[in-house]
Amino acid sequence: MKRLTKFVPRFHFSLFFAAVLWLVPALNSYAADAAVEVQLDVKKAAPRAIEELTERGILRDYRFAWTCMAQALQFNTFDPLEGPFSGEAKRWLRQTVSRQQQSGLSHRYTDQNHRVEAVFYSPEGDVVELHDTAQYHLQILDGEKNIHDENVVVHYVVLMTPGADRWTIRQLQAVPQF
Amino acid sequence: MARRGRICAVMCLAAACASACRAQDLRVPDSTVAGEETSISTTGSGKATFYLAGPGVSRKNEVALGEEVRLTAQDLRDAGYYLAILCSETCRSASFYVRAGKPASLSFIVHPSRVPVAQNEAVNGVAFPFDQYRNMVLAPVNVNFQLNAKDASLFSRAVRTQNGVAWFRTASGKSAGALQVVASLDDLTTRRAVQQVASDPCNLRITGQRTKTGILVQTEPVHDCSGNVLPDGTIVTFTATGPEGRDTVDAPIKQGIARAQMDSSGATTISVASGVVMGNEIRVGAQP
Amino acid sequence: MKYALPVVLVAVTAALMVLGLSVTGQAGGTVGVTKGSALHTAKADTPDQGLANLLADVQRRNWDRAFADVSSSSGITEQAFIQDWMGSNGSLRSFSSLEGFDARPLHATSDEAQMRVRLHFSTPVGPLEDVRDFHLIREGDVWKAVWAKVQLPSIPAEVIPVTFLRWDLVTGGADEEWGARNIDAPHVRIISMNAVDTATGAVVMGEVTNEDTVPAFVTVNATLVDAAGNAIDEESSFDKIAHVLLPKQVTPYRIDFANLHLKNVKNVRMDEKATLVPASADPVIGVMNQRIETDVQGKSVLHGDLLNQGGQTVNIPHVIASFYDNNGKVVWVSDGYVDRALLPQSSQSFAVEIPKNLSTAVHSFHVVVNQYSLGKS
Repeated sequence: MKRLTKFVPRFHFSLFFAAVLWLVPALNSYAADAAVEVQLDVKKAAPRAIEELTERGILRDYRFAWTCMAQALQFNTFDPLEGPFSGEAKRWLRQTVSRQQQSGLSHRYTDQNHRVEAVFYSPEGDVVELHDTAQYHLQILDGEKNIHDENVVVHYVVLMTPGADRWTIRQLQAVPQF
Repeated sequence: MARRGRICAVMCLAAACASACRAQDLRVPDSTVAGEETSISTTGSGKATFYLAGPGVSRKNEVALGEEVRLTAQDLRDAGYYLAILCSETCRSASFYVRAGKPASLSFIVHPSRVPVAQNEAVNGVAFPFDQYRNMVLAPVNVNFQLNAKDASLFSRAVRTQNGVAWFRTASGKSAGALQVVASLDDLTTRRAVQQVASDPCNLRITGQRTKTGILVQTEPVHDCSGNVLPDGTIVTFTATGPEGRDTVDAPIKQGIARAQMDSSGATTISVASGVVMGNEIRVGAQP
Repeated sequence: MKYALPVVLVAVTAALMVLGLSVTGQAGGTVGVTKGSALHTAKADTPDQGLANLLADVQRRNWDRAFADVSSSSGITEQAFIQDWMGSNGSLRSFSSLEGFDARPLHATSDEAQMRVRLHFSTPVGPLEDVRDFHLIREGDVWKAVWAKVQLPSIPAEVIPVTFLRWDLVTGGADEEWGARNIDAPHVRIISMNAVDTATGAVVMGEVTNEDTVPAFVTVNATLVDAAGNAIDEESSFDKIAHVLLPKQVTPYRIDFANLHLKNVKNVRMDEKATLVPASADPVIGVMNQRIETDVQGKSVLHGDLLNQGGQTVNIPHVIASFYDNNGKVVWVSDGYVDRALLPQSSQSFAVEIPKNLSTAVHSFHVVVNQYSLGKS
């Protein structure tokens, strides 16, 4: 009985510790995704109007793509780029990660806010062009040393195409203005 | 005297600070084209670490302040937003954009791959010009679209790109066969093929004759309303209703004609259908 | 007190074990109906027992003993007897096993008896039932079954040229430029849809056609939506559709929503999916002598014969029938598998059931044949 009395508090502590270990990564990913705000306006999409389900899909997948891109460039890993990107966008992102691995640099994108407007949706619905006015906090680190820290506003021209189970970013090109 | 000395010391300190603050600086080009070499001028003295961050590039190397830092064509092949950073005791940065070069290829997507003849707004195409490094060319350019069937031109239109895209939509031709769809921009040409196929059967007619083993039924050559023969493999359903019951055979068209052998020995009514199109009915007398 | 729970658990376990062992092998409660899957050691001194012995041996695939339960007056060889049960030519029967049976006497004298048996088979496509009449005779003091001679189709050797179209699918390389590779999915269209309530749940049925010029692999899904626009349930047609549709071919489909009724359903959302698939127009299967009749069990069935007009064996034919009222509306879709292979230039009979409450409403029908051939793409 004495042993049981000692055991119970330790057990409770272990359970709490295990719960924390399990919850923290989950909270982390939620926080990472929750830190990317995206507003999508499809009123100007032409020649085809974007259907409601498609709009929701594009919004969801665009937000997810930026979350993944931030993870890939922060931790210098290729895995997050596999699903949400295709074509040229995937190529240069992978190349960036590869070069960062060699140079020891990393990018940190936080407090992302994207105001996205659909400007073209093809008649067959197999490509959509978006204009994204993206505001985020950009840090560039050389190892642990912060070499650049700035709030930026960048304009992106984006092409998205439907993949097997999601919309993917095929082209992501920054421009001075639209 | 002491006061002058203090003033002097403060001024020297300020000068030293100013000098230190001006120790490194960099000037980036106003704009540059993808794949073109350029350079970034630096000021100051001593050594510094130069960083270049941008799409597809993450460069770090030691530079001598006061000299130009060369950016190679490979560094700047992807259009987008670049940051140049120079760090010695502190870091200074400057951003610039690389824009796409002149068009070197056309991505051309055409739908559908097969289209029934004589359908309005059935064929559409979307073209995106890219430069030699696959950057989107956003400056307006004229793209010519053409549709050619055999030797005839069915459609021709020049469309100016907006936001880097040009598109068209038009009707399919009247004759079955390959339709060549061409998008051209200056001396760049991209071709796609669309197969025009016969539409639904029109005037589906059958004939039948009694044989030793039953009734042999066959269609006349099956055409659509534009006169195109339906492709081989298209299913035609024959239904024979007689005293023993009903017989149905789904027979594929071969060389324009579908045939079936029905077993019925009594007086039989035979009808035909293909898809949702019904044909004529015939009556065949009983076997003598 | 602290040992009470373990003692109770042990006692209950022991009691359940005794109960389980003692209940095994009991027949059903209905008089005159013999249920199957019994272990047999009893002498076949009654027609019921003779039949039970035979079917138990068949169930256990003890062919020598099973054939010993067959009267020698049958004139059938053991090989033919086994083949009749086991199936051949990769038929559905070849992959099936007898799970059980229900037998009912039709007529009996001191020397012969007629028994009607419902045979329950388990197959890769689900449970299958077959109704068969067995004739038994008394030989000495045991009853044996008279096995009808199996008529195998006599197919003359011949060369049949295959000139029907065949479609192959080439998927292309992975690194082609964007837009260069473009083969659209086949165009299919749902041409009718009818949602009805049945005793077992809601049913959505209708017909779908391949409007394209290439073969399509088609599935049809339906989502039941309530008044608020929320999805209640989503189901697929599974095998109640001919999945491979050649150009301009029409197939019925049926989607079952078990234990759901339409009173809460405001809308039915249909979704047809089609993908490119390699296919062949051969063999052509004719559906002959179709007629609606009442079978020996009093059920309304659509009978007919499948005639293989080509040179390839169809290992597992599957019949799907749509029934229309006098307005041409699809009122029911039935399907059934034929458990014998359809040999070239030969026929096999089929029967699909029509629900009793619909038999008077049926004005016409249409049958399509789905076919599975081993080793065919």
